[in-house]
Amino acid sequence: MMPIWTKSGEKHAVTLLKVQDCHVLRYVSKEESGGKTAKLLVGGKNVSPFSKPESAHEIFKEAGVPRKQKVTTFNVTDDAIIKPGTPLYAAHFRPGQFVDVTAKTIGKGFQGVVKRWGFKGQPASHGQTKTHRRPGAISTNKAAKVYRGKKMPGKMGNIYRTSFGLKVWRINTKHDIIYVNGSVPGHTNCLVKVRDSKLPTYKDCNKNPPFPTFFADGDEELPEDLFDEEVFQFTDPSVTFA
Amino acid sequence: RVSSDGKPPKFQPPPKPVIIDRKTQKEERRFLSPEFIPPRGRTDPLKYYLERKDMIQRRKVFNIPEFYVGSVLAVTAADPHASDKSTRFVGICIQRGGKGLGATFVLRNVIEDQGVEICYELYSPRIQAIEVLKLEKRLDENLMYLRDALPEYSTFDVNMKPVPPEDHEEIPVNKLQVRMKPKPWSKRWERPKYNIKGIKFELPEHKMKAAQKWSQPWLEFDMLREYDTSKIEKKIRKELSEELEK
Repeated sequence: MMPIWTKSGEKHAVTLLKVQDCHVLRYVSKEESGGKTAKLLVGGKNVSPFSKPESAHEIFKEAGVPRKQKVTTFNVTDDAIIKPGTPLYAAHFRPGQFVDVTAKTIGKGFQGVVKRWGFKGQPASHGQTKTHRRPGAISTNKAAKVYRGKKMPGKMGNIYRTSFGLKVWRINTKHDIIYVNGSVPGHTNCLVKVRDSKLPTYKDCNKNPPFPTFFADGDEELPEDLFDEEVFQFTDPSVTFA
Repeated sequence: RVSSDGKPPKFQPPPKPVIIDRKTQKEERRFLSPEFIPPRGRTDPLKYYLERKDMIQRRKVFNIPEFYVGSVLAVTAADPHASDKSTRFVGICIQRGGKGLGATFVLRNVIEDQGVEICYELYSPRIQAIEVLKLEKRLDENLMYLRDALPEYSTFDVNMKPVPPEDHEEIPVNKLQVRMKPKPWSKRWERPKYNIKGIKFELPEHKMKAAQKWSQPWLEFDMLREYDTSKIEKKIRKELSEELEK
């Protein structure tokens, strides 16, 4: 995470996300998948092909792409279908866009009820016998059972969670890095899924993004760094208030 | 020379002259700001490379002078609420923290009997000028104990004139031993974990001895805590010199 300053001198914290070897693997039509829209399977981060059986390599062989560590699905409209095998770059996103980031949270292992669910526990002194971080009562007398989903100790973390509505401040096209506002679930160097935001406030926010995606062999020549309008660039002199 | 056999003596080449290259040694000793050295961790070095590029970009436009903990600085920063839209603060640097773009330094001064500390970010665009009024080092890397020292050690004249540095190779180390206010202090500075050399402890002997109970003499031999930055520093210095020349 890094600080980034706006032209008015405010500081925001920013997470760097690297787009590493992302390729489109397969197109699944609406009827095939049974959902409301067509789906595109996308894989990221090349990994050795020797640790999985040959049967697992079919998707990758069809697309002509080395084996990927993670395969995710994106729901796409029919006009945004991309041919399997095309590489995806960070320039697919533009600064000023809003984005949802999904990742597996940091695993904390088996945790008690105080850390996992934020229970208050019991006092440290005044006669408590061996009861300081226990859940206390788990149900009432009348219920005569424990309800499903009762908050109890268990494995915490290592589940998929999403941060919604994160602004993209800056994109580095040379190293394929997206600078996203705020924090993102997951530990450093973990795999992350970045998607256009589905929040209703940001529905009309994407002003002319590259559609269906940014093609590297196209005519567009992008500069190495793309900044949002409000970002303070270090080539400018210091900020002064008029 | 008398030879053992009838053969001519073996040719002994003359001893090679030993050349001591003083220029490279001088370059290595030049100051490298501590926020350039990446911390030990599992982050991708690409992240530090990109941060360094931004830091160098900022340094090309805005001059960040060399200073240490214990030097007196004057900082002019932009402030939307001030009448002149900028504020000037003079103080002694008591701490330099953070790595990369988020590097900070804390300046302390006593203004009208009120101690004031301001933490500035080195790379913030709101800072308009940093002047070093007095360049010197102290015996410690962290002068937080000045909060519990007598206020005369933290007062610096706001209209102080910059003291020109003498042309030594080395930065002068001020071996001042500071006198403290009576206990209680904000932290127990006599304990060996803080390893403070710049305080004149006027505590009784038995208290100083009792403080040594918390010493951890095995820490200096702990190999897992070693972080050798010499190679990293060399690389970064080379990168910096190349970029700043452009």
